[in-house]
Amino acid sequence: MKKMSVVQVALLVLIAVSFGELVFDFSVYEELFLDFNIYDDVHDTIVSTLCLSCIKLDPVSRLDFVFETGNGEEHPEFVWKNLTKGPLFIEYRSDVCKACDDMAPIVKDIFNVSFEKEETLYKLVNYSGLNIHFYHINLDHASQAQKDSFPIYDKDNIKGVPMFVVITVKYDRGTIKPCYTAAYGTLGLDTDEERRDLLIDMIDDGVKLYEQNREGYKYP
Amino acid sequence: MNLRFRRLISQVVFFFSANLGFKIEGIFPGLKTGFCYPFFYCHACPSATAACPLRAIEIGVYEGKWNWKLIFYPILIISFVGVISGRGVCGWACPIGLLQRVTGKVAKKLKKKQPFLKKLGQHRLEPYLRYLKYIVFIGLVVVTPILVGFMFTDICPVGYLVGTIPISILNPGEFSPNEFFYIALVIFILFIVLIFTVERGWCRYLCPIGAMLAPFNKVSKYQVSVDKDQCIHCNICSNEACPMGIDVPNMERDPECILCGKCIEACPKDVIKFEGR
Ligand code: SF4
Ligand code: SF4
Repeated sequence: MKKMSVVQVALLVLIAVSFGELVFDFSVYEELFLDFNIYDDVHDTIVSTLCLSCIKLDPVSRLDFVFETGNGEEHPEFVWKNLTKGPLFIEYRSDVCKACDDMAPIVKDIFNVSFEKEETLYKLVNYSGLNIHFYHINLDHASQAQKDSFPIYDKDNIKGVPMFVVITVKYDRGTIKPCYTAAYGTLGLDTDEERRDLLIDMIDDGVKLYEQNREGYKYP
Repeated sequence: MNLRFRRLISQVVFFFSANLGFKIEGIFPGLKTGFCYPFFYCHACPSATAACPLRAIEIGVYEGKWNWKLIFYPILIISFVGVISGRGVCGWACPIGLLQRVTGKVAKKLKKKQPFLKKLGQHRLEPYLRYLKYIVFIGLVVVTPILVGFMFTDICPVGYLVGTIPISILNPGEFSPNEFFYIALVIFILFIVLIFTVERGWCRYLCPIGAMLAPFNKVSKYQVSVDKDQCIHCNICSNEACPMGIDVPNMERDPECILCGKCIEACPKDVIKFEGR
């Protein structure tokens, strides 16, 4: 009986120290665990992000351009600024996401860009003679400002990845303002061809709106 | 208050604490934490408070990237409750255990009416089926995510039950099935058939969290023990009470015991008890 108690106490101490290290970063096992807050990571990337493969569903894409942001916050600074030169296309993803892996080659092909999935990339690309600000944002490796932009453009409040966003400008009650649309997952479509066509439609609509309204857009 | 009622209260309290993530506009912001559940429940549930430990492990090992923190974090949480109470969490806290408490009543009646189900339960190969859960855990939570990127949570029946179904109902017309939907649906139907035909069928044979918790029964502080000298081998505990189909009179820190205490209540000689040692 005593032997068992020793085993139990030893296990509990080991678990408590390791857990404390993981959550509070005491740096006991510095080499192994580095500087990384697991509690926030699990909160941000698992609990607060809807995993589309866990729900076995894809959101139905409605490609209307809207002004109201997903969480009611203002558009971020980099969006306001970039809109002076062209519309934006943002692809949000995470490390572990089957649909993101399926969609990445389509996006690369449309914009003729290349990137690793862990990479966060910005590039000004030429699309049908127009500049498009291309962003590939991996939420597991992005800056805080980039992470904060995710709920802003989560149009349908899905909190799921991959999320494709086109941001452009449009007329609204006397002013030209930023507007955007978002699509999610594998876009609810079965073949790569259909997915590609839908993404292109979405981008083309954004480009058209930009061309119609660019003259009136003012960077505040 | 009898044991059965105390356990029910505990299960209901844990069920509600696992579901505090819902938002009521202007009244309750919803509690979304960064913990992993120490039992089987899914963060895809709209009201989930924490993460599924299996998903965290899968992400941790995905494509051999070895994110050690994500691997250890859920393992440590489960180990902690495991060292204290072994699979007691299955009997007293897990919402899927609560669900099977309800379906188990049907399974028990069916077993009495359908002799073939009884025979199936006593088949000499039945104990080997219990190893399936270890294969599911190692195979689908660890090996396939590393090798081919396929994960247990892609087809998990509990994700279907508490994620897919409520999300589809709450957002009609907003979602369409993805590539895993139909296979997950088939697995979900099999899951429902299993839990309605075999008492605690999921916990006995397939639950990967049960597989993680089971070895801790060998060292856990709390356990159920039988005074073998006093036992008269009436087998009421095994035949009438135990939902896990354990040979209770001969058990010694059995990895299947979920500490539900049904055998304690059923024993006419009072020779079974909870023990903390
Ligand atoms: S075996 Fe799995 S489903 Fe059953 S009670 Fe334990 S954690 Fe829950
Ligand atoms: S042995 Fe007793 S406590 Fe353990 S699962 Fe069976 S009935 Fe419950």
